[in-house]
Amino acid sequence: MAERYAISKVNVPEGAAVPELVKMKMEKEEKLAEEKKQALAAKQKAREEERAKLKERTVAYEKEYADTAAELVKLRREAKLNGNFFVEPEAKLIFVVRIAGIMKMSPKPRKVLQLLRLKQLHNGVFLKVNKPTLNMLKLVQPYVTYGYPSLKTVRELIYKRGFGKVSKQRIPLSSNDIISDALGKHGIHGMEDIIHEIYTVGPNFKQVSNFLWPFKLSSPKGGFVNKRHGYCEARGGDWGNREELINELLGRMN
Amino acid sequence: MATARPVVSIYNFENPSEKTGTMPMPVVLQSPLRPDLVREVHRDMAKNKRQAYAVKPKAGYDTAAASWCTGRAVARIPRAPGGGTHRAGQAAFGNQARGGGMFNPTTVWRRWHRRVNVTKKRHAVACALAASALPPLVMARGHKINQVAELPLVVSDGIQSLTKTKQAKETLKKLGCGEELQKVIDSKSIRAGQGKARNRRYVKRLGPLVIYNEDNGITRAMRNIPGVECAHVDRLNLLRLAPGGSFGRFVIFTEGAFKKLSDIYGTLKSGAPKKKGYTLPRAAMVNADLSRIINSTEVQSVLRPKMERYTHGIKRNALKSKELMEELNPGSTERKAVQQKASQKGTPEFDAVQKKKKARIEESKKYNKEHKKGDETFYKTLMKAFEAKAAADAAKKAAEKADDEEDEE
Repeated sequence: MAERYAISKVNVPEGAAVPELVKMKMEKEEKLAEEKKQALAAKQKAREEERAKLKERTVAYEKEYADTAAELVKLRREAKLNGNFFVEPEAKLIFVVRIAGIMKMSPKPRKVLQLLRLKQLHNGVFLKVNKPTLNMLKLVQPYVTYGYPSLKTVRELIYKRGFGKVSKQRIPLSSNDIISDALGKHGIHGMEDIIHEIYTVGPNFKQVSNFLWPFKLSSPKGGFVNKRHGYCEARGGDWGNREELINELLGRMN
Repeated sequence: MATARPVVSIYNFENPSEKTGTMPMPVVLQSPLRPDLVREVHRDMAKNKRQAYAVKPKAGYDTAAASWCTGRAVARIPRAPGGGTHRAGQAAFGNQARGGGMFNPTTVWRRWHRRVNVTKKRHAVACALAASALPPLVMARGHKINQVAELPLVVSDGIQSLTKTKQAKETLKKLGCGEELQKVIDSKSIRAGQGKARNRRYVKRLGPLVIYNEDNGITRAMRNIPGVECAHVDRLNLLRLAPGGSFGRFVIFTEGAFKKLSDIYGTLKSGAPKKKGYTLPRAAMVNADLSRIINSTEVQSVLRPKMERYTHGIKRNALKSKELMEELNPGSTERKAVQQKASQKGTPEFDAVQKKKKARIEESKKYNKEHKKGDETFYKTLMKAFEAKAAADAAKKAAEKADDEEDEE
């Protein structure tokens, strides 16, 4: 807090008689400036420590991602070798994008979209996969498109369009301090921590996802196929679950 | 309001450059300044000397006019009856008619006068007196007081016994009012407007107001000097103390009158002895110096320090800005540089990658050599699946051919 003291310099011309109140003010400002300097130094030190720790954690995360990917490859190969089928792990993470506008929306889907924080066209949110969320998505299927984002997609979304909810305001994630202040108590101190928590759907997924303001995406370059119909229909469409292929769409919308 | 009362000098009326004594300033002259109050009270008090005016009650209606109604190719306005004169058939009554009455005739029973609460009137007078003790306000009202020794100007009681106008004029000049009196004389001009034809031909500025206690000839002496007015201290009139609603009249007190002000108005604690149930007005704020209050230690000591505002600046894209990426993801530039090295020929990283690749290919070749030679190549294993069928087909064909040959034979 002391690092944010606003210190005002009082300009006293050479040799002029200094009024009493001005003198009082100057003394006060000097004391505050001293406090501020100390607080800034302490903050700088803390910041360096924090950054070192974040660096270590990031390296660990990269290894983790690489390891899990390698593990999957190994298991697939093993299964093939043994003539078995490898059951791909079910997705844990979903990214939902609102496709429909706000006009003429039935009350139930409207409410569900509100609950999912999809209040605007092309808004996107990360969702954990579980029974309740899947049922909610069922209710709003024709108004959203969703799928399983890759690590690259998650990173790009958060770096490019990541904004945080700080005292009810939409603040850009321009510094790790913002993240640390909001999510520090959950052990999340930087961008890579957020990405890790989201991608691996960790224990604090809810807090992190809620901290992230709903992503405001552009309309996709190259367009939609047909928003009125479902992705899985033969004639081609856009709404509903498009599993891995959401990454292609998000690449065009981000 | 001052904590200690300042002291006012009394000037000798015969020789105004010398002072005969001093007197503490009466508390009235330290009343809070309320221009809004003075303006309001003056506005209402000034209405009380008005004379009624109105048009005649019957103005415009003293005819037996009646409308000719429709059907006669004339407007429906009432018309004067009869004949034999121009007046017959002419329009009457309406405000639009010639010779008709006015719209909304003025009446004598208009509410001409206003009553003002006594306390309000007294407060206004106290306020106006206080203003007359302040040079900037008196100057702002337009009085020329540059040569006047002191405000409030208090003169010894001898002035009350002046009988000759000439003497009075000299005394005033010696007191420094010469410029003021000259200003009045110079300002005499013909009134703008109809008043000039209504026995109010000339207007001129107002000069000093002399407030006395005992009239031993002073009123008669002063009354013919243009601009000078006299008033008894017991009967002070707001219309004279704040002419036009603006306070700060140039006032000259006599010693007796000045002393009597304290007797009439008293202090805030004592109340006004000569005005039953009246106490001088109190200021809304005792200390109106806001900057001093705000900057006082009492206030500043309980304030938290001023903080810088949060500025978030323009959002930059970390995927495009290497600087921002390093800020958000410490060590990312390092790691990226290491990664890049792997594709640069000649670096140890590049060599390591190539070595791994070579090893992998070697592995693969070795495996293939062991497990996939001869009949275990991919093609051969694939075709094995068709062998049974191929054999059956070949057998069938052979059987058919044998039958055909048999048939031919």
